[in-house]
Amino acid sequence: MVCVARLSKLSASLHLCLRAKANTLRPYLTCIRNTLTAAMSLQNFPCQDVERHNKPEVEFKTNTELLLNPILICRNEAEKCLIETSINSLRISIKVKQADELENILTKKFLRFLAMRAESFQVLRRKPVQGYDISFLITNQHCEEMNKHRLIDFIARFMEDIDKEISELKLSVNTRGRLVASEYLKQYT
Amino acid sequence: MILMQPQARAVLQILVNRSRVKQEKPLEIDFHLVEFNDVRYHILSVAKEPHYMTLSLGLPLPAPETVFSGDLPLGAVEAVRGAYGSLAQVKEPPEMGYNLTLRIDLSQLPADEEDCLQVLTKFASVRSVVLGAPLREILKHLAMNTVSPDADRLTALMHRPRESCFLVPQADKVTVIFPMRFKDANDAVLATSFLQEFMEARRTGGLNTAPPCLWSSNPPAELQGVSGLALDANCGFVSIVIFARHVEGDKLERTVWNLSTFHAYVSYHVKCSKAFMHTRMRRRVESLIQVLNRAKPDLEKDKKTAQGRSFKRSV
Repeated sequence: MVCVARLSKLSASLHLCLRAKANTLRPYLTCIRNTLTAAMSLQNFPCQDVERHNKPEVEFKTNTELLLNPILICRNEAEKCLIETSINSLRISIKVKQADELENILTKKFLRFLAMRAESFQVLRRKPVQGYDISFLITNQHCEEMNKHRLIDFIARFMEDIDKEISELKLSVNTRGRLVASEYLKQYT
Repeated sequence: MILMQPQARAVLQILVNRSRVKQEKPLEIDFHLVEFNDVRYHILSVAKEPHYMTLSLGLPLPAPETVFSGDLPLGAVEAVRGAYGSLAQVKEPPEMGYNLTLRIDLSQLPADEEDCLQVLTKFASVRSVVLGAPLREILKHLAMNTVSPDADRLTALMHRPRESCFLVPQADKVTVIFPMRFKDANDAVLATSFLQEFMEARRTGGLNTAPPCLWSSNPPAELQGVSGLALDANCGFVSIVIFARHVEGDKLERTVWNLSTFHAYVSYHVKCSKAFMHTRMRRRVESLIQVLNRAKPDLEKDKKTAQGRSFKRSV
């Protein structure tokens, strides 16, 4: 319970600081980073119903006592991040900005490409949570295997890279389009 | 390779390989090829007739509004006769399932290698000769600033399987309208952004004399009266206005080829840009995995003895 109280207080204060500079990426990422640092206190917890099972509680939601309040961090309406926590696992779902149809298909393509390679990413979920574009599932085992702050670095870097990659892809499509068109029209002159 | 060549590379390769072999030597050749997902080629040479080779061309099904004479576009047979002369005969009737069969006389090929290659390139460009025939006819009239007396206000030409492009011939210009369709919704979005660039590109330097190019999502006014099915395009409509200066002299052939492969050109580049995206994404995945691996604490390195053997301490 202490943890829950601390988390919700933290998110409230962060939310305030976020509203001040709503348009830059940095405070958004800082907020997510800090929330994750606070939320990622996971411990081993065997399943209560089935003997010798150990399941991520955030997925199965077998008992409300084991779940903490989910936190929603929004940069704007189109970009948000949902962090759901439980005693032994943590789920991060990200919604990426899609300004037009081209960005929409680029995002879809890229994130599908990533989700198909979830095996090599260990913490990536094969399917995003409904309403989001990509989700991570971090269990206490991952926390034991990896450095916690490095794992958070990875999530932050991942979000930065997605944004960068999509805007670069869009730029490259437009540049290629321009080149293709001018080469074609040059044929007539 | 940004632009596409009029000759089919594979067809040319096969013809060149055959011509290099001694002509008296009997050789069995049987190739089936498809180009741009619409035109089919069948190249056949039987051992019984070592001096001859047949090249068959199969066209896709035309849309109902397209003008066809028999199996071929209007004026195609004359164009083929004009292009190949005595080097090849048009076989009547053509091979089953194909629209045109040419019987190429190998003994008449020029002895000089360079000339021979030129002739074979012409054979490999049979697509442009046949499909471009009606377009060439209209553009020839444009070069002379006239409209052919029997031309309609709006002519439909075969462009893609069951699809046509439309021509509005006038004395001083010809407007070519392509309804653009893509099967895949993602391809359609990419193609739309490409087509919009066609409108913009003319404003860049050096392209002032290029034909004006317009893209709109609704059918342009010229297409009034065309049946609804032909106007069902998920990628909008492109109109290119060709003036007499674009069809002068040897520019005619290039213009005909470029216009008749417009869809193939756009679709080729849509595919290229998808392939490019995949390479980029793969690279990005690798770099992200590296970041994740950095999160794992270094495993204890194997200790090695002086003999180079490694051992692990039992815990």
